[in-house]
Amino acid sequence: MAEPGRLEVQAVSKSYALAGRPRLDVLSGASFTVEPGSFVSLVGPSGCGKSTLLRLIVGLDTEYQGNILLHGERIAGTSLSRGIVFQEHRLLPWLTLEQNIALGLANSGWSAEHQARTVREHIALVGLQGFERSYPHELSGGMAQRGAIARGLVSQPEILLLDEPLGALDALTRVRLQEELQRIWRVEGVTMILVTHDVDEAIFLSDKVIVMNAKPGRIVREIDIDLPAPRDRVSPEFARLKREILASMGEQPQEAGALAPA
Amino acid sequence: MSSLANVIDASAPTPAVPSLAAWLRRWLPQRSLIGFALPAAILLLWQLAAWRGWVDKVFLPEPVSVLEAFWKMLTTQDLAVDFLASIRIVSQGFLYGAAAAVGLGILAGLSQRFEQFLSPTFDTIRHIPGIAWLPLIVLWLGLGAPAKVLVIAKSVFFPVFLNTLQGIRNVDKSYIELSRVMTLTRWQLVRKIILPAAMPNIMVSLRYAAGLAWALVVVAEGLSGLEGLGFLIFRAQGLLLTDQLLVCMVIIGGVGFLIDRGMYLLQRRVLRWKQGYEG
Repeated sequence: MAEPGRLEVQAVSKSYALAGRPRLDVLSGASFTVEPGSFVSLVGPSGCGKSTLLRLIVGLDTEYQGNILLHGERIAGTSLSRGIVFQEHRLLPWLTLEQNIALGLANSGWSAEHQARTVREHIALVGLQGFERSYPHELSGGMAQRGAIARGLVSQPEILLLDEPLGALDALTRVRLQEELQRIWRVEGVTMILVTHDVDEAIFLSDKVIVMNAKPGRIVREIDIDLPAPRDRVSPEFARLKREILASMGEQPQEAGALAPA
Repeated sequence: MSSLANVIDASAPTPAVPSLAAWLRRWLPQRSLIGFALPAAILLLWQLAAWRGWVDKVFLPEPVSVLEAFWKMLTTQDLAVDFLASIRIVSQGFLYGAAAAVGLGILAGLSQRFEQFLSPTFDTIRHIPGIAWLPLIVLWLGLGAPAKVLVIAKSVFFPVFLNTLQGIRNVDKSYIELSRVMTLTRWQLVRKIILPAAMPNIMVSLRYAAGLAWALVVVAEGLSGLEGLGFLIFRAQGLLLTDQLLVCMVIIGGVGFLIDRGMYLLQRRVLRWKQGYEG
């Protein structure tokens, strides 16, 4: 595995000029650092630019002001060292699960034997043994998403980006997969950057939560999560952090029994 | 609540005459056999018409004499030769037309400029039916097989080309993004993503074109042929050999059916990953 590098986002801005409308500032001066091997979440309401930021980091979008540096070098385009998991699993319907995961190694240059071994290891990692020859339509939503995670990790990237990966799943599956994700992260040691609108998920999984807000899309706060593992979702510290984050997002949670502030 | 259910049950009338569906279900329990019911009924009706003399034997000979004519044609009149001639022409025409269509369709799908280069010419030629081309092509290539192969290839080409192109244009953008993240080369993108995604469109158009090609070969042979099933049909018409006419029609229909079924099975095999609306 490549030595995971430090990701530095420096004053990144992106705006769209649409005809007849005021300029849309999707991102405005976003800056943060991601230490190698850490788990960072980007949380914020719709339109805060978190998904845009993710796409800039993975290299799907290359037009922006500012710098995104990995190992001190400016990121230019996509690379197998930065994997991504989308909200939809995007497994190709005409390939079996193992063929789909192997797609992540299509350009790795590894030998067929090495590729097959790595694919098998990652299928075991996400707990899908026995489903190697299944087609995506035969898998449940949670299983397909686990397959997508395996595909994102199979090329052993330095960073795995996750764009609301559990958003399309039901609540119970989501909780289970959050625990899976945490286990996978501990085993693989890869840097993970998660975009989510679910604050609970962010606090449960991350070392650091970066809170964003919209209009213009910007970073409001960085909060270090210093809860001990395993994380208790109903502990008072958890709730305190959640309140802090929601407050930064501009959402004031109701105090029990109090009237809504004007 | 239970009393209401009782009232509803009592008021539903029991049908005195069983519905057609119920009757069919009773007499044809196996779903797959239901397809044989109609041909059997038609055959029965046909035989009945011949026995009772409802129709003059010149216009509609009885099934038995059709079978006799078939045997006669097969053993003494080289029916097999004509049959194979037709099969050969349709196979060649279909293969050339389909190969050219898929190839050019992919190139046009990958390059908008190439598509625009071809578009006005193709859209014009496309509307001239293959049969209208036949006289000109026969003038150039003579009455033999090449002219028919060319006309069939042309007629197969356009539906398959259009569907290939459309299939490629319909490829989900999220898959293209996926290929960028996987850093796939253009060739890998085509082979692993674009072609398989376009395959349903391509397969359907191939199935349609195969049927079209077969129907065309009969017309082409009838219009300007010296051999083949189409030629036999028109010869039988000229000689008022209605039983031979029917033999040819049955064979043509049968082969068409087999071609379609064969293509359908091929489609199912190639597209076995596809989960769609099963009805």
